Amino acid sequence: MKNTIPISIQFSLSLGLFSLSLGTAMAQSATSRIVSSANAFLSTLDEQQRKSVLFAFDDEEQRKRWSNFPISIVPRAGLAQKDMNAAQRSAAMALVASALSPRGFEKVQQIMEGDETLKATEGNRGGGPPQGRGGGGPPQGRGRGGPPQGRGGGGGLMFGKDLYYISILGTPSEKNPWMLQFGGHHLALNITIDGERGILTPTLTGAQPSLYTANGKTVRPLGGESDKAMALLNALDENQKKQAILSFRLADLVLGPGQDGKTIQPEGLKASSMNEKQRTMLLDVISEWAGIIHESAAAARMAQLKADINETWFAWSGPVTVNPGSNIAAYYRIQGPHLVIEYAPQEMGGDAAMHVHTMYRDPTNDYGRKLAAK
Amino acid sequence: MKRTLAATAILLLAGTPVPAHRLDEYLQGTLISVEKSRMDAQITLTPGVAVFPKLIAEMDTDGDGAISATEQRAYVGRVLRDLSITIDGRALTPTVASVQFPAVEEMKEGRGEIQIELSADLPRGGPNRKLIFENRHQNGIAAYQVNCLVPRDSGIRIVSQNRNYSQSFYELDFVESGARSSPLSLAWLSGVKKPLGTVGLLLVAWLALLWGQRARLVKHVD
Repeated sequence: MKNTIPISIQFSLSLGLFSLSLGTAMAQSATSRIVSSANAFLSTLDEQQRKSVLFAFDDEEQRKRWSNFPISIVPRAGLAQKDMNAAQRSAAMALVASALSPRGFEKVQQIMEGDETLKATEGNRGGGPPQGRGGGGPPQGRGRGGPPQGRGGGGGLMFGKDLYYISILGTPSEKNPWMLQFGGHHLALNITIDGERGILTPTLTGAQPSLYTANGKTVRPLGGESDKAMALLNALDENQKKQAILSFRLADLVLGPGQDGKTIQPEGLKASSMNEKQRTMLLDVISEWAGIIHESAAAARMAQLKADINETWFAWSGPVTVNPGSNIAAYYRIQGPHLVIEYAPQEMGGDAAMHVHTMYRDPTNDYGRKLAAK
Repeated sequence: MKRTLAATAILLLAGTPVPAHRLDEYLQGTLISVEKSRMDAQITLTPGVAVFPKLIAEMDTDGDGAISATEQRAYVGRVLRDLSITIDGRALTPTVASVQFPAVEEMKEGRGEIQIELSADLPRGGPNRKLIFENRHQNGIAAYQVNCLVPRDSGIRIVSQNRNYSQSFYELDFVESGARSSPLSLAWLSGVKKPLGTVGLLLVAWLALLWGQRARLVKHVD
């Protein structure tokens, strides 16, 4: 699509649209705000773009078409940032923002900015990319040996903010269930909206580099996940640490992409053996994922996870110390009746803490299946 | 670390950009599920880019650039020979339920996963059962991960999972409710208790012998 509007005007328009969208949103319920943003985004698209972005709500292949890998390795479908003009991109990001909390949206932007940093340092052409595995393979059921359905693909491009895709499954509605997907390298948001309820599972976040400088400031997209877990481990007594710290190496995510619907036996320290302060700290770690979605959905989710807290486990594998201001190089897992969180640094010859994958699941309700089935 | 440096060096020599993901390991993830009369294992093998040339040479034995069905079967057979699965000290012979190989190109790019599903019937045993899963496949480059799925059968309760550091050795203790302790079962003799159990049995036999001798002596005196 040829874009003839000057960049400065595009930017102003984008900001205007973005601000208008957020401003109007304040007076609405979360769901009506998201639906308005979705419709506003869709109205900016031409027919071909709408076809690219819209899927059936029950499209299982599209639901599972996410990964930690760059899009040149595991192609996504939907509409990429690079294939939108500035106003469309702004409307797309306003839609994503409307479904997330301010901190959740900031985290998403930092992950994308990190990928832009990676593009600057690593170059951007794959052509037989040098990527090793990263705990995530191609989505199940799409067949092996080629991109799914011929949609998506990045033409060999590897990194950068332009390579994030948005898609909508179903019809944006305040009553009926539908899904918003947004993701690319190190990011997969699967947001199911069902009435006033919002479900963020399964969601993958990651960062490479997990620490970088932007505008003179140090940015750690997953800094909260690292710092809060380290603080929790340090708050445990020796006996609790013996239970929480696993004696074996965990090299990768166990329930990463392609492992939907599975529940592994929990391990580590059960929160019923923690004191109240430690349990509060555990909930605070969990909030780094549960709080990505907008506030009312996050509050409902946190209430559910708080009710489960005594049946929730915390397990750690790897180094038990960290340099101040750095990320941990350890794997950890939090698992409860409605929750699996994994934080998995990736060894790649350098500092394992600089490349992290995380997974956030509700094995009983991934993709909002439980709600949507009612 | 040595492997990593070597892998990076190989890629640099080949003129390839510095990698963004793990290269030099062969991830071997196994998810085990147990039921009263059977066990299943889903094994996912993911070669890293730097170890792919070594692995493809073992899979594509005729060197034609593709992994034929015969070559797939042969490779799966090799994986199976490198596994050892026992229940209560008795070896299991798993059968291959399904196999999926990705395209060679996918493995070359580091995203291809070989999926092998195994299953085995479990012989009857007592209520306390011990399953041991050992994996020696490509142990020089392997990153093993073994986990047990939460049993679907509420009559099975997982007691503990124990592993060595590399997870090449995995031990699963579980309780099967409704199962009777078989008087002939030697399941409790498995694992580390084996030497202790053998000593105990010898002691009992020796005491029985002494008791018999004493009884004969008393009879003579009478």
